[in-house]
This record gives sequence, C-alpha cells and structure tokens, in this order.
Amino acid sequence: MEENTLVNGAKQYIVVKLDNEQYGVDISYIDNIVRMQQITRVPKAQFYFPGVINLRGEIIPVMNLRLKFDLEDKEYTNTTRILIVKPESGAKIGILVDEVREVVTLEEDSMEKAVYDEQGTYLLGVGKYKDTLISILNIHGIIADLDNAW
Amino acid sequence: MDLSQYLEIFIDETKEHLQSLNEQVLILEAEPDNIDTVNEIFRSAHSLKGMAGTMGFKRMQRLTHDMENVFSEIRNGKMSVTPDLVDVVFKCLDAIEEYLTCIVETSDEGDNDNEEIINMLNACLDSNGKASEAQDSGNAEQPVKESTESSEVSVADDDKRKFLRIDIADFEKNAITEAKAKNMNVFGVTVYIDENCILKAARAFLVFKGLENIGEVIKSVPCVQDIEDEKFEFDFSMLIISEKSLDEVKKVIANVSEVKEVVIEDYEIPKDIEVVSSVQVKEEETDKKEETKKKNTQAAKSNAKPVANRSVRVDIEKLDDLMNLVSELIIAKNGLVSVSNQEDNRTSMQSFNEQIEYLERITTNLHESVMKVRMVPIESVVNRFPRMIRDLSKKLGKEMELIMTGEETELDRTVIDEIGDPLMHMLRNAADHGLEPTIERLKLGKPQVGTIRLNAYQDGNNVTIEVEDDGSGIDVEKVKASAVKKGHITEEQAEMMQEKEAIDLLFRPAFSTAEKISDVSGRGVGLDVVKNKIEGLGGDVEVSTKLGEGTKFTIRLPLTLAIIQALMVEVRNEKYAIPLNSIVTIEDVLVSDIKYVKQKEVINLRGMVIPLVRLDKILDCEPIEEEPENLVIVIVKKGDKLAGLVIDNLLGQQEIVIKPLGKYINIHKMISGATILGDGEVALIIDSNSLV
Repeated sequence: MEENTLVNGAKQYIVVKLDNEQYGVDISYIDNIVRMQQITRVPKAQFYFPGVINLRGEIIPVMNLRLKFDLEDKEYTNTTRILIVKPESGAKIGILVDEVREVVTLEEDSMEKAVYDEQGTYLLGVGKYKDTLISILNIHGIIADLDNAW
Repeated sequence: MDLSQYLEIFIDETKEHLQSLNEQVLILEAEPDNIDTVNEIFRSAHSLKGMAGTMGFKRMQRLTHDMENVFSEIRNGKMSVTPDLVDVVFKCLDAIEEYLTCIVETSDEGDNDNEEIINMLNACLDSNGKASEAQDSGNAEQPVKESTESSEVSVADDDKRKFLRIDIADFEKNAITEAKAKNMNVFGVTVYIDENCILKAARAFLVFKGLENIGEVIKSVPCVQDIEDEKFEFDFSMLIISEKSLDEVKKVIANVSEVKEVVIEDYEIPKDIEVVSSVQVKEEETDKKEETKKKNTQAAKSNAKPVANRSVRVDIEKLDDLMNLVSELIIAKNGLVSVSNQEDNRTSMQSFNEQIEYLERITTNLHESVMKVRMVPIESVVNRFPRMIRDLSKKLGKEMELIMTGEETELDRTVIDEIGDPLMHMLRNAADHGLEPTIERLKLGKPQVGTIRLNAYQDGNNVTIEVEDDGSGIDVEKVKASAVKKGHITEEQAEMMQEKEAIDLLFRPAFSTAEKISDVSGRGVGLDVVKNKIEGLGGDVEVSTKLGEGTKFTIRLPLTLAIIQALMVEVRNEKYAIPLNSIVTIEDVLVSDIKYVKQKEVINLRGMVIPLVRLDKILDCEPIEEEPENLVIVIVKKGDKLAGLVIDNLLGQQEIVIKPLGKYINIHKMISGATILGDGEVALIIDSNSLV
C-alpha cells in the first residue's frame, strides 16, 4: 500500500457518503467501483450482508455499510454504489454505500487520530478537508470482526 | 530468474522417473533377462543423475550415479540380476524418494548420505565385477594396470592419480579412441608441484610447454587458463596423447624444477563414461550450462519457501483442443466484426444472431476443455502401490497380490495430490491387519495368496475408491475390548455400542488393535489421519466388514470445482441449484398426503417414509399465504438415507460451474457454493447432504 504515500505522508482517499456523513476509504484498497446491480440473497449470512454479486464471473460478497453501522436501511437509489475493496490478495468484498463523491488527498497533519470512536475499530481517525470532516474507515476493522459479529 | 520454476519440473520429472524405475524393476524381478527393461532402467537412472546434478543435489546425484553403474554393468552383460540386487535397487529408489520428499518440502535434499546403500551397490558391483574383469583384461589393449583402473569409478581422495577423476566429454573421448587406433599412447598425468614453489604457474607453464613438444594435451584439470592464472593448489592433472613412451614423458615433466612428483599412467576411458551415448553427454553439457545459470539464483534458493508441487502435466491433445478453440474464437470475433460492417439491417441482424450462437458454442467448449486440463487420472497415484505391496509381502512374509481397477478414473489435480497417503495407509492396513498369515489362510481353507483390491470409479459427482481385502475382517468385540482397555470408552458404552459405532472407533487417534507394533502398521496413527485427510478434501470414508471374510473401505471424494450437473429449482423467486447426483426422483405430492411423525412432516413414498425439508423455511424465505394443493418434492439421498426437499418450481437441468462465495461472508453449511447463470444472475448451490 506504499504506492499511495505521496509526499510528507499524504494519502489519497475515496470519499463516500452514508446519509450526510462522509467517509474516506484508502484508495489503495479499492479495486473497482460499480453501480448497483442485482444482489443474490445468501440465507443465514450476517444480517449486514445482503448477499453476493457477480462481478465479471467472480462472486463477491457485498456488505451493506449502513446496516453494519447500525443505520436504518434505505432504498437503493441512482447514486448507490458498490465499492469493490481488496483488503488482501485473492479476496474481494463489496461495500454498499449511498454515494461516491470524489478522491481527496489528505496529509497526515490534517488527520485527527484520537477520536471518540463509538463503533470500535471501524474508524482510523478523522481527516479535515477544506471545511468538511471525513471519517477515515478502517477497512480491516470493518471486515475483521465478522466472526464475532454473528 | 526463479529457481522454483526449474524445481517444479525437476520434482515432476523425478517423480516420473522414480515411478518408471519402480515399475521396471518390478518387471525385472519377474524376468531377470529382459534386456529392454534393463535399458529402460539405465536410461531412467541416467536421466535422474543428470537432473539431480543440474539442480545441485549432490547426494542424490551420487546415489543415482552408483545405481546407474550397476545397471550399466548389467546392460553390458557383466552382471546378472539377482534377488539381492533387486532389493538393493529398491532400497536405493526409496532413498531417492526420500531425497525428493525432502526437496519438495524444503527445496534442499537434506543431509542423509545413504552411505550404506551406496556401499551395497558397490558391493554388488565388486562381487560381480571382479569375475568379469578378469576375462576383460585378457583381450584389452593395455594389459597392465588397466583392469584395476577401469573398474574403479570413484577414486578415493587420497589416491594420487587424480587424473582418474577428470570428466571427459564426447569429443575428447573420440580423440582418445582415435589416438589409440593410431597406436599412440594416451597417458593420464598428475603433477605435484613443490609446496614451497613461488611461481606455480610458471612451473606449470614449463610442464605444458615441455609436453607440447612431445605430444598433445587434450584435457587438463583445472583448465589451462586457470593454471596460468595460478588458480590451483599444488597439483594439476591432464590427459596427453603422445607417440613417446611413458618413461620419456615422465622424464620431460620431471625435468622441470620444483616438480615434487609426477604420477603417470596409461589412460583408459572409464567404463561408466564409455557407455554414455553421445546424446546423453550433450544433455550433460547443457546441464552444466544451466548449472552456471542456476548459481546466480542460488541466493534466491536459500530463501525459497517450501515448494509444493503445483504443476499439471497436460496431454498434448488437450492443449491442441484448446488451441483449436481459441482459433475458432478468433474466427468468431472476426465474423462479428464483418457483420457489424454490413449495411443491410435485416440480413445483418440474422447473421449477427448466427455469430452469437457460434460464439456461445465455442465458449462452452472452451470452458469444458480448460476444466479437463486440470483432471488427472488416478493412475498417477496408484501406480506406485504394486511395488509397495511387493515390499510388504516380503517384509510380512505373507503372500498377497494387489488387483487394481479403474486407474483411469480422473480427479482434480489438487485431490490427486492429497489422496496418495490415505490410500497407502489403507493398503498397508489391509496387508498387515487385514490379511492373515499364509499358514493361517491355508488352515482356513482360503486361497494361499491374499487378495487386496483397489477399485476406483466415478459415481455422479463423486469418485469412489474402494480398498478391499479378503482377510480376517474386523473383530468388533476385539475393537471394543481394546477401546475399553485404552480408556477410549467405558465398558457400559462398549456393551451398548452398535457394530457400526464400534468400527468408527478405529478412526479415533492412537487406536490400534494389532497386538504387536510392526514396521508396517500398528502404531495407531493410521486411520484417523486417513479420515481427517479425506474429510479435509470434502469426502468421507466408510467401512464394511465381515468377520472372517474381509474388510472394505470405501472412500468417496468430490470431483471438485469441475462442472457439475444440477437441477435448477425455484423457491419463491430465488433460484437454487441442487446437484443432480444426489437426486433420486422428483415427486408431485398432494398436501393432504403429508403425514406427521414426531411432529415432523413425512411422506410415504412407495412404502418408504421420507422426511420432508421445507426449503423455503430453512432458507428464510418469506412465507406464502396460500399453500398450493400440490407440492413439488425433490427426493435426495445421502448414503442410504433419503429426504424430500420441498420447492416451488422446477426450472430444469443445467451444467453449472461451482464458484466459491468469497471470504468474509458467513456461509451456512447447507450452501456449498454458487454459480453464475446464463443471464449473469448468481444462484446458490444447495448441499443436500447437510439437509438429509
């Protein structure tokens, strides 16, 4: 993931939205961003996994970030996107978000690490960009506690 | 450059050669005079040696080299094949296999020199060799000394005749033979220079210069360049062709000052090199080149992870098929391009559809072909068993034979790699525990030779492998008693136990009923390992036994990730696939025919009571308000148990490709995977085994 380190520790993030909150995902994890498509339900999976999708012949589980963050489920809209994230080689996971906004570059100085994080390990910190705040998602944290979550 | 790419080939080929060696030696044991077999063995041993040398596995090379020598003697008719010799050769093969296993695991051959086996091989050479040498020396060209020299293949380190260790290449050999034909003398010379000498190179130069006047130096060790650069210790060796006599040559060399000692003798081409055909020599030369290349990667090698063998050998025909399909694919693409350029709309639409159909046909075939490439006949695992049974038969003093059928049954490569050990365990079990000693068999009126059968066949989506012996069978009471004694179960439990449960005890760790531990088995580390491994592959093991008549182990393995035939069904509006091989029938049942047993729904189908499984409920589908009068029920089986899966709709049979569902998401065990349907939709595959 070193390739994402620009000068003085700046990193690029993809900014996504859930309701009105902005979240940043380290761009080096992102494999792809696709539009909403048909999701096949998988019975008995974790409640925040609506199912799996077919991405060019590969079957990828999709996680609904709203449900994961205990937010209310929402109808899929025209702006709903699936971020295809590759946390480790050979394994992909789709993350369902309301909207994908832009790519921003955040310097390490503009990141606030010590934040009150009520979602446990889901956030790495909060970054300031222009006059908005972006919560930086901890991808590994989000996918790692799955075994305990059920 | 990556060494592992060579290593894989090496491992594969070594396995192949070992296998062929094993087979051929077995044949040789039966027909000691079969010269074709000897040739075959010799060739394999030689290739092994070359390969081991290339890869830098010195110990393995040495062992194969000595083995090759033995067969070279046999080939030349100087030795005959004796049972003892066959035993030694088998031991030798085992040792090579050990090296190989070590290499597979650590990419290093380990440090077992197998001195004992080498000595045994050499002993065979010596005892047989001496007699024939005596005859040889009579008609050889150089009567003196030569016979002792020529038979000596490895020269001891302290031997001063270092020139004997010079490897000679083809052209040098020719030069020597030619020279001899012209009645020239060929000498091997080793020159020792005084250790106090300061200008070694200068002395060596003088030696060479002096020799050039009286003859021709055809080879020197180290090479001339190295000698001039003073890259040698205090001795160097060479081969000379000269008209002069031995003494004259010796005098020329000894005249150079500071030369401590000159060892000179008539030189004969060593026998083992003599029989090397020119092709093989060339092979060795290229090997050497590779070796230098390889040295660059030596550093990488030390860091290399354990090398598992992941390559697949593919029948060239299968590759040709693939190639054909790919060329057709290109044609189809070109067809589409030309259609899109057509102006007339109506005809273009029609030919467009035609092209799409064509394309479809190609892709389906392409898919199938690629899948087939991964399949390997089970033969590659089982063909080493006859040798094993032969050894066991000798070791245990029981007469037995192995009958194998269905070796051509194909399994996925990954399964093939794993299945060898479990099968071996079972065969050893059958040989050791299953079959009675020969005397006992005679007493019981059974055929003197015990039979072990290994049968493999494909059964729907599974491959079944049966290991069957006609021995004493499993004494259930004995198993129980042993289990009680070892504290696995209590006596009460033992009394309650059904036969089947008791047999399952055998699969517990550290369980053995053999009264004494033998080399072969009885340590109780067999069957639980077998079971774990097979279950790890997604298969299962069953045992059936009849006391006094024999035991049969049945292993069922999935064909894995291949394409399977499945029945597509609909539950509510979701599509699911049920593997066709587990389906018995499909029934239309009136709701009123459903009965209840212990509050569970069952149907009575032709006298059989079959429990029903409501797929919509266990799949958490939304309930429907009105139940139809008729239920579509898919009857599935697992072993001899049946169950009826209630579905909403049948969609039809389809060939599907099993795909994993990916990480991170929790998968219930009733879902074995997913597949992608023609329209890109994902359908889950139901593992009916978990529902029965």
